[in-house]
Amino acid sequence: MALRTRFAALVRTLFRRDRLEADLDDELRAFVDELAERNMRAGLPPAAARRAALVESGGVEQVKERVRDVRVGQAADTLLQDIRYGWRGLRRAPLFTAAAVATLALGIGANTAIFSVVDAVLLRPAPVKDLNRLVMVWQTDRQSGTLREPASVPDYLDFRARARTLDRVAGLAAGEANLTPPHGEPTRLAALRVSHDLLPALGFDPIAGRSFREEEDQAGGPPVVMISESLWERAFARDPGIVGRVLHLDDEPFTVVGVVRDVSDFGVLQILSAAVYSRSFADRGDRVRVDAWLPLQPNPKSYPRDTHGLFVLGRLAPGVGLASAQREFDSIGADLERTYASNRARGVNVEALGAVVFGPVRPALMLLVGAVAFVLLVACVNVANLLLARGTTRGREIAVRSALGAGGARLYRQFLVETLILAVIGGIAGIGLARLTLATLVAMAPPDIPRLSAVTIDGRVLGVSLSIAAVVGLVFGLLPAFQARRLDVQTALKGHAGRQASQGRAARAVTRALVVAQVTLAVVLLAGAGLLVRSFWRLEHVNAGFHVGGVMKAEYQLPRTRYPVNFANFPNFKEIHAFNDALVQRVRALPGVETAAVAGNHPLDPGFTNSFVIVGREAESAGFPEISVRRVTPGYFRTVGLSLVRGRLFRESDATASAPVVLINEAAARRFFPGRDPLGAKIRFWGASREIVGVVGDERFHGLANAAPIAAYAPLAQAPSVNGAHVLLVRTSGAPAALLPPVRRAFREQDASLAVFGAEPLERTRAHSLAERRFVMILLGLFAAVALVLAGIGVHGVLAYGVAQRTREFGVRMALGARPGQVLTSVLGEGVVLTGIGLCLGICGALAMTRFLTAYLFGIAPADPVTFVAVAAFLAAVALAASAIPARRATRVDPTVALRVE
Amino acid sequence: MPRGHDATELLRGTLDLLVLRTLELRPLHGLAVADRIRQVTRGTFDVPAGSLFPALHRLEQKGWLRGEWSATGEGRRIKSYELTPAGRRQLVFEKRQWARIVDAMTQVLESR
Repeated sequence: MALRTRFAALVRTLFRRDRLEADLDDELRAFVDELAERNMRAGLPPAAARRAALVESGGVEQVKERVRDVRVGQAADTLLQDIRYGWRGLRRAPLFTAAAVATLALGIGANTAIFSVVDAVLLRPAPVKDLNRLVMVWQTDRQSGTLREPASVPDYLDFRARARTLDRVAGLAAGEANLTPPHGEPTRLAALRVSHDLLPALGFDPIAGRSFREEEDQAGGPPVVMISESLWERAFARDPGIVGRVLHLDDEPFTVVGVVRDVSDFGVLQILSAAVYSRSFADRGDRVRVDAWLPLQPNPKSYPRDTHGLFVLGRLAPGVGLASAQREFDSIGADLERTYASNRARGVNVEALGAVVFGPVRPALMLLVGAVAFVLLVACVNVANLLLARGTTRGREIAVRSALGAGGARLYRQFLVETLILAVIGGIAGIGLARLTLATLVAMAPPDIPRLSAVTIDGRVLGVSLSIAAVVGLVFGLLPAFQARRLDVQTALKGHAGRQASQGRAARAVTRALVVAQVTLAVVLLAGAGLLVRSFWRLEHVNAGFHVGGVMKAEYQLPRTRYPVNFANFPNFKEIHAFNDALVQRVRALPGVETAAVAGNHPLDPGFTNSFVIVGREAESAGFPEISVRRVTPGYFRTVGLSLVRGRLFRESDATASAPVVLINEAAARRFFPGRDPLGAKIRFWGASREIVGVVGDERFHGLANAAPIAAYAPLAQAPSVNGAHVLLVRTSGAPAALLPPVRRAFREQDASLAVFGAEPLERTRAHSLAERRFVMILLGLFAAVALVLAGIGVHGVLAYGVAQRTREFGVRMALGARPGQVLTSVLGEGVVLTGIGLCLGICGALAMTRFLTAYLFGIAPADPVTFVAVAAFLAAVALAASAIPARRATRVDPTVALRVE
Repeated sequence: MPRGHDATELLRGTLDLLVLRTLELRPLHGLAVADRIRQVTRGTFDVPAGSLFPALHRLEQKGWLRGEWSATGEGRRIKSYELTPAGRRQLVFEKRQWARIVDAMTQVLESR
């Protein structure tokens, strides 16, 4: 019963409010009227009687407010009312609302998107079981100073047999294979040879069939394969009877034993990229997924101790730390070094898998997080400023409302509600922006960012961003309410005095400080972005030693079935040479082709290094680092524009049967023949002494940002590829992309079942190699742009507000004879001072921060003066423009109007 | 006229009892309730409008009072309040409560 009455009361409160209010009005009017009549009867004149009655009642509006407070459901009603009121207020100030919402959306959206990336890539645990127990076991080479070399097969077997600190030692080697489907074009697959215990060690269970058995993982074991989920889909339409079916890889039949889930990525690309060589498909620069998994079947006979192509991954035994594993492997490595000549100067480096996989992207991601935090800060500062400015202009409104009986709590709630409305709208817009940003980021991101495909907008991240924005909004939204409460209602109501009182010196100081902070943050971000842009420009214009314009490449691997590799005949691999020669002939005959060449690696492929000996300087050579060996046909130099420094280039006569010759690059000449003539000297590798017939320029084939490594060039005819991997390079007078179809046709005519991959203009390959830098540069640039816009809005906002506040003052000054110029200077002066302070602080901040950028800088110092001057000038110009608008407005104040307003 | 919140500040909760008791005999409108309380207590309790009307509305919402609108001779609407059966029960309960409090207080004050 009581419940029903209460419910009825609630319904009345919420839905019959107008009726209730009318009743309350009537009831109190009757009350006051009767009091007034009573006073008149007591002899007071009507007006005085009425005033006395009002005083006796203690204020009709105050009584009403107290009655409203006891109503059931009043809280909900006031909230609705506050929301309606707040919404109306916001709509009356569209500029303020738009600025605040845009600012919040930018801050929340960017923050959420980037944080989601960081979270997915760095913070969320990998799909791998016990990631922090897994380690990479690298070999080191004290001679070349490399710390991350793959191991040799015999070393791997020794590690397996001896290690006690690791309870699992698994091996993997990357490769590629041509898949010849029953119908359709042959395709190229990324393949991974893995020891039988690797997938179980990572916690990856097959979704169909089984993993490899130990007996399958022996040298000479059966041809079995596990395929990826998407290959299962692509080639077998998810045939449930997949186990037992046969797949042709490089023309050889393999029996499928299981299917591996697509997400089973433990960072293969990052592991391969971390190595100094044997990077295989990781160098292709695409987001490669492993489609074929083969048993490792380690064979120490075909892969002896001096051949390093095996990646070793281990799991720490329970209770063992990284340091003790390192100690054990130091002693194993020392043992092997004593026992085997080929292990001279070699040691072992045990490294956490997480550091290998996530290490390279960590600086970039941290940089982005820093930038995002800055932008969020700037955004918060802007919102704070906007709210403060708006709040102070409302001093009078607040005074009126409290005079009408609004309690303190009610006033604060009103401000809270308004801020919350802003936060909600800003948040919704922010989520939209975050989705957009995220999609753009994923599309733009370079391929070697691990697990980027797993990125989704993270609820927690969004929550955190929203809360930060809300807290800032609340604090700064409430400040004006606090200030206003301290005002004397009487003074505030007496016209302009209220406005001046409400502008509060403290609030002005806070606002100015916030603008300075904004300018500071914008300078830091702009400086960072400027440095990256300058670095990128320098990188784009660096002398790489080769040209990419007009050149296209197409890669292929000749399968051993039809192109046998018989080491007894080295280097006379007839079929391979015949294919390459015929291909070059065919391509050279295509219209528009200037030159064509076949090489082991294209100019943006780091390739591999090899030990070598300078004939006659054998003892000294033992201490030489390994040299990159580039195998090329004679047309290579003209095709990629690599210049001859002295001697001669290769000729067609440097054939398989001719005397072995070699070219070295300038870096090698400087390093090994300082002050002597390298021409005529002989260097020995791969069982042949090769005469140096020339010196060529330095090619930056380890990436444009890295100095050219020492390199030796051998004629492909005298140093054929043993794995059949080649690249065709073609120079055309036209557009390289237009050459792709005829080149593909040439391949087909030569060998219809050969898979051609990585066919693209070299320009694109180069762009790919700079993708991460471009990614970071564009992102930081975007952030800087956002920060700049926000700072501009901030400066403009605070000055415009100041001018509006001082309209009367300007009116008086102009009435007293001040010239517009003086008014202009006074407003601009404030802008200049604020901007100047911000600039100084910002430059100091930037100098402190940019050292975190060094990994991305190229050819300039972190304190690059050109960048800093440009940034300062640019920001000053923007700030001046932002100040000019309100300053001009100040000069247009009409004294008579200004004085009448108040 | 004093605002009523002087030496005899109303005990919290006593206002409800005063209003219920005042309305026990016959329905009254707001000002009449205040007048009546002042007369009966010979001016000790002077209930200001800011306390009276919230109390009336609170009791009405609890279902102890019923508001009744009527027109005066001058065409004004007047709202008078009367006790509901629930209000009568509540009054009995509150009177008993009050007696117990007075009893207890007396014993405390007169104990030696």
